Amino acid sequence: MFRRLILDNSAAIFTFVAFVTAASIYVACTWRALRMKRAQVERFENLPFETATPPARHEITSA
Amino acid sequence: MSAQKITIEFNDKVVRQFLLATLIWGIVGMLVGVLVASQLNFWQANFNTEWLSFGRLRPLHTNAVIFAFVGNMMFAGIYYSTQRLVKARLASDFLSALHFWGWQAIIVAAAITLPLGLTRGKEYAELIWPINIAVALIWVVFGVNFFWTLARRREPSLYVAIWFYIATIITVAMLYIVNHLSLPTSFTHSYPIFGGVQDALVQWWYGHNAVAFFLTTPILGIMYYFIPKAAERPVYSYRLSVIHFWSLVFLYIWAGPHHLLNTSLPDWLQTLGMTFSLMLWAPSWGGMLNGLLTLRGAWHKLRTDPVLKFMAAAVTFYGMATFEGPLLSIKAVNALGHYTDWIIGHVHAGALGWNGFMAAGMIYWLLPRLWNKPLHSVGLANVHFWLGTVGILLYVAAMWVSGITQGLMLNATTDNGTVLAYPNFLDTLNSIRPLMLMRVIGGSLYLVGFLILGYNMWMTLRGAAPVNGSIEVFADEEEHAPAGARMGVLATLFNPPVLFSVLAFGFSCVWMFGNDAISVAGLAGTIICTVAAIAHFESRGKSWADWYERLLVNAAPFTILTFISVAVGGLIQIIPTVVVQKAANIEDRLQLRYTPLELAGRDMYVREGCYTCHSQMIRTLVPDVLRYGAYSRLGESIYDHPYQWGSKRNGPDLARVGGKYPNVWHLRHMEDPRALSQGSNMPSYAQMLKSDLDISTLPTKIAVQRTLGVPYPAWTADEIKRNVAEQSALIAADLKTAGAYVAPEKEIIAMIAYLQVLGKSEPVNKPGVPAQ
Repeated sequence: MFRRLILDNSAAIFTFVAFVTAASIYVACTWRALRMKRAQVERFENLPFETATPPARHEITSA
Repeated sequence: MSAQKITIEFNDKVVRQFLLATLIWGIVGMLVGVLVASQLNFWQANFNTEWLSFGRLRPLHTNAVIFAFVGNMMFAGIYYSTQRLVKARLASDFLSALHFWGWQAIIVAAAITLPLGLTRGKEYAELIWPINIAVALIWVVFGVNFFWTLARRREPSLYVAIWFYIATIITVAMLYIVNHLSLPTSFTHSYPIFGGVQDALVQWWYGHNAVAFFLTTPILGIMYYFIPKAAERPVYSYRLSVIHFWSLVFLYIWAGPHHLLNTSLPDWLQTLGMTFSLMLWAPSWGGMLNGLLTLRGAWHKLRTDPVLKFMAAAVTFYGMATFEGPLLSIKAVNALGHYTDWIIGHVHAGALGWNGFMAAGMIYWLLPRLWNKPLHSVGLANVHFWLGTVGILLYVAAMWVSGITQGLMLNATTDNGTVLAYPNFLDTLNSIRPLMLMRVIGGSLYLVGFLILGYNMWMTLRGAAPVNGSIEVFADEEEHAPAGARMGVLATLFNPPVLFSVLAFGFSCVWMFGNDAISVAGLAGTIICTVAAIAHFESRGKSWADWYERLLVNAAPFTILTFISVAVGGLIQIIPTVVVQKAANIEDRLQLRYTPLELAGRDMYVREGCYTCHSQMIRTLVPDVLRYGAYSRLGESIYDHPYQWGSKRNGPDLARVGGKYPNVWHLRHMEDPRALSQGSNMPSYAQMLKSDLDISTLPTKIAVQRTLGVPYPAWTADEIKRNVAEQSALIAADLKTAGAYVAPEKEIIAMIAYLQVLGKSEPVNKPGVPAQ
């Protein structure tokens, strides 16, 4: 099964496969990200603010 | 839903504990770092004490900074942000406490065993097997506590920071377990089950991804939570964070072989490692820009807020380090930079700039909130920032210049490339001494900055009362994903996107690795699968989208798919290597197995951490061959458990040092390196002339080596003892002839035996393969 790895100098195929694999991942996740609805994006990006955090008092005094 | 509300109090006690541990271990790790940096410039700083020698302390420094400093910081950040993002208290106070105290016990155990020379001899994986098991168990405790908390969450959606935490937990577990598979020979010693090239590949699959999934992904999660909180505005682009996550998680795992470029690692692996590393540029910089642009409209705050100062600088250093990493992964650049201080500069841009500054920013943000008291001094925090920044710049600039100088000098040739311009390795070492001193100064400034943080923290905490955060939730709010969006394991795996991806990937593996007709069938299958997937997506695209949407609110399926995406890269690289690259298939040259005495010497070589300064890998590069001899063949280290190819040359390569010098030269050199190599910075190993060699464990060690496939005969303990005595007597007699008397039972005899066998191999003549 893996005999080619020893006998062949097949560097080109691995460069190509690596590029195609990475490009597929980029395209797929970019597609999904762009298809997210605006409301959904806003909901996600505001999750850190749903739990109020008290301001540090030095920040209040220095503001 | 009922209108009745209840208050949930978060477990911030464990966050405070991890925060304090971060600072304490951070200072310890940096202090050891300054010491080992000094030792490289002033050999006297080894204090002629074996447990303070560079080879033993350097692993202590790296382990302390990675696992103690960044580890504790990561746990603090993950526990603080996760509770708030999922609106649930940590699932178990007991598991939280066990996690904290277990992790500290591991760190203490590491701090004791590493200086004692108890090591596995693999970078960032030096800890001995009982500690490995403890690490795995405590990591499981962490994972159970984390996922149990997710299961009890009141927020169905998983914020992107949680994604990064999930990827961290499962990937680190996978990497750690595989790279630490060992067979024990005693309670404190073991041999890794992989040897030679297999061990090298697995080690750097682990080593590189320890950087990726221990030092990067959790800190990115922390970045995605704390920068928006500190800047008081949402992340610049949530869409970009989605792309950042999936592309980073999928691609990072393939890049490990870039640590082994131009070595005897098979070419296809080097090609994959280099190509995937180059493609990491995109997600890394996408993430960096996302972090920096989150500060849009808040840049003015950097003037007054030390938290944002630290975080903005940290993200900038992340960008610098992740630009430099792919650059160094280009084979031609790597030929110059590998084994030199350039790599050290690159690593510290990440560790000091990215990890250290994110830690500092997070600590300054959390301190007043976890103890409900203003920070003692904002001015001191600003002093810390500037000291740290100047320290990093001095450090990194010094290492860049030093590394490029080393690389250029070691590779320089004259007479049309046939003669080395600087044949003496020490010429390069003595050229970079001022730069090494500059590194010590830079590192010290950085350490002073953290001491100031310690003082600031101490003054802030004096008289302060710890306070736990809380949140009000509806009493009957669902504790997990809404019923309609739930997804089981079957639905996770048996759906068009996963099935098409798995099939396409399987066929492309057959195409890559198969022979003749099988390869063609694999190519055909890949094409058919891709076309079918596109056609299916065209007609049933909604089912693909629905599956993804449900994934975002289902922690378990999300985790399974993340695991698959990180496991694929490792499997495709490791399985063929383990199947093919073994002694039975070796052509050209095959390593001679070590005699019992040489094996004992090798264990001492590992014990003393010689691999931290000496490589055993002559690369396929003309200057390497001119300097050290014929390039290293894959078969010449096939029996090495662990492999010792090394990653840094503070001293020359030793792959073919065997027979280069007489025995007495090695004796004198180990006793006092400067007696023979004027200007050397190597510690003295004079204690090896005094200590008796312990051969009581050799029968067990050889039995384990046999189990691992090293072709030792079934010797009895007496035969091994006799074998050791005979070879020791020969070396001792040779030394006596040369005018040096050493008793044959001393450790130095075994070390000489090992050094003298390095590079010795036998030719392998197979039909159809030309002998070399």
